[in-house]
Amino acid sequence: MTAATEPSTVDGASTGPGVRISDLTVAYRTPAGELPAVSGINLELAPGSITGLVGESGSGKSTMALAMLNAVQQPGRITGGVIEIDGLGDVLSLSPKQIRAARGGSIGYVFQAAQNSLNPLKTVGKQLLDLGRSHGVEDKRALVRQAKELLSRMGLSGERVLDSYQHELSGGMRQRVGIMLALVLNAHVLVLDEPTTALDMISQANILSIIKDVHAEHGLTTLVVTHDIGVVAEVADRVAVMYGGRLVEQGPTVDVLRAPSHPYTRGLITAIPRLTGDPDVAQPLPGRPPTLGTIPRQGCVFRERCAVYAAGAREDCETVDPPAYDIGAERLVACHVVEEER
Amino acid sequence: MLKFLRRLAGHVVRGLVMIWIVTTFTFVLVRLMPGDPVQTQYETLLSKGMSPDQAKAQVAVTYGFVPHGSFWSQYGHYLWQLLHFDLGRSVRAQGVSVTTEVLSTAKWTIGLVLAGTLLSFLFGVVLGVVAAMRRNSHLGNGLSIVGSLLHGVPQYVMALILVTFLTVKFKLFSTGPVDGLLEPGFNGPYIASIVAHAVLPAVAFALSSFGGYLLSMKSSVVSVLGDDFILASELRGIRPSIIFRYVARNAILPLFTVLALSLGFMVGGAVFIENAFNYPGMGAMLVASIGQRDYSEMSGAFLLITMAVIIANICADMLYTVIDPRVRRGEGA
Repeated sequence: MTAATEPSTVDGASTGPGVRISDLTVAYRTPAGELPAVSGINLELAPGSITGLVGESGSGKSTMALAMLNAVQQPGRITGGVIEIDGLGDVLSLSPKQIRAARGGSIGYVFQAAQNSLNPLKTVGKQLLDLGRSHGVEDKRALVRQAKELLSRMGLSGERVLDSYQHELSGGMRQRVGIMLALVLNAHVLVLDEPTTALDMISQANILSIIKDVHAEHGLTTLVVTHDIGVVAEVADRVAVMYGGRLVEQGPTVDVLRAPSHPYTRGLITAIPRLTGDPDVAQPLPGRPPTLGTIPRQGCVFRERCAVYAAGAREDCETVDPPAYDIGAERLVACHVVEEER
Repeated sequence: MLKFLRRLAGHVVRGLVMIWIVTTFTFVLVRLMPGDPVQTQYETLLSKGMSPDQAKAQVAVTYGFVPHGSFWSQYGHYLWQLLHFDLGRSVRAQGVSVTTEVLSTAKWTIGLVLAGTLLSFLFGVVLGVVAAMRRNSHLGNGLSIVGSLLHGVPQYVMALILVTFLTVKFKLFSTGPVDGLLEPGFNGPYIASIVAHAVLPAVAFALSSFGGYLLSMKSSVVSVLGDDFILASELRGIRPSIIFRYVARNAILPLFTVLALSLGFMVGGAVFIENAFNYPGMGAMLVASIGQRDYSEMSGAFLLITMAVIIANICADMLYTVIDPRVRRGEGA
């Protein structure tokens, strides 16, 4: 990928821009009033890093990913917070025109593979041109060349793929097309929502290695949203764990996975079945994740499923929402007990 | 292109087979009818003083088959004549061939039906998109309600209301008959006459059927708006005008089936409107021929309606191969 073929560069830096999310809150209008799906999230994506955001379905991780592009869907609404991206400013205070230019232009978003993220009636190439037209790209040829380069970098024949309709592509191919469309305009922040879900194991491994390579080559700052800890272990430098709309733990991937601090993270990791040894070693987390309506309004959102809380109920777990305690080594944990026992 | 032609050929062959089956049914049905029209006419002619041979010949001309031959020889004769577009003679209008009669009324009906259908399709689709886009506002709800209401009003009621108000009460349109001397075709007087006489029927038609298109288009647009690729396009920063085109093109697809089918059915389905407006179309002819037990005209009309439906179906199917790439790949026969 040569700099000369690129229509524009955000700042010419070889590592991606930094992203700072502070105090992000997203609420959904329901018959029971506005309920927070994401509340008080503080997360920093270091320039050039890959951050994995893990959580169960309904934990608010996809909502958060959409918030990165100020694209939370009705009846949801971002009620507070700042998402600052270097070279772009606060995403949440951009004008509609600016935010449309930023989507695709500065921030690339890749949909879940199983979702049909392409117009079924148009070839990939025509949709690429629509993308170029929407972002005022003058040089259509350079755009197509850039797209072909990206596709061939990901092991696809650019010529063939651009002439194809969505139904002519496999899941893994669609995913690579999604990545191409997200990056072809030189976005330097990449958000991937469940990039490997619904793909077979071989395609998963393939997509993950592509994500790592493209990330490094293009100098991106990447957020990977997934429910699969394996994906995080594979690609992410840092991991953030979400539960009930809150970040319960974050830190360097290796450290967090090797020695999880938060009772929820520990539960998640012991729930993973091993390939070798006794499958019964895997312990499912008891209980169900909360829904919008059942998230506790007060105290720790996890306490109802928490082994530590069950062993000995503490008052502050019920009354005080645990803040993100800094436990050193760049790790933050939102748990009163962990903080106290340190 | 080759694939397209192969597909088209397959459709035409299947269409011809279907037409053959339907004509066979019509042929058999005519002879299953109570009162045996063939025998009745034969006996009527005999009682008028014709000799048996003359009467036989006359009946043969009228129905296009030999009344006293064996079933199979009659059937063979009928098919042979059909192949030559000979549907026999009209009983009602003595001496006129059914083919002429049917085709001359069909011309008027096709003008009416085409205008009415395109009008209602256009209005239905445009208003359906508006209703879908503004579905949470008074405008959207109002459109849906108006659509449902008009959809529920039968064509003949709509036709009578228009006749009453626009020709009798306010005399905006004439109630006179169409000048039978006009030559149908692409010429000024014919078109002017069509317009003058077809406006009200076409409007009645459009008013009573656009509601269906409106409601279908609305639900189709709402469903496409919820599709993943629309959100994906938004997240890629695609321009709203382009996204609108994505939505419109995807949403209108299922409506083409409805459009094509109704075009086919409406050749015969305009009966009430034609009657109310005294319009010289197929529907009016069909009613008159039923009233006078003119079986050869009836079966001719049915044949044309059948063919219209089959051709409309083929057109719809071929249209899909052009506008929907997913159908294009699914190999036809």
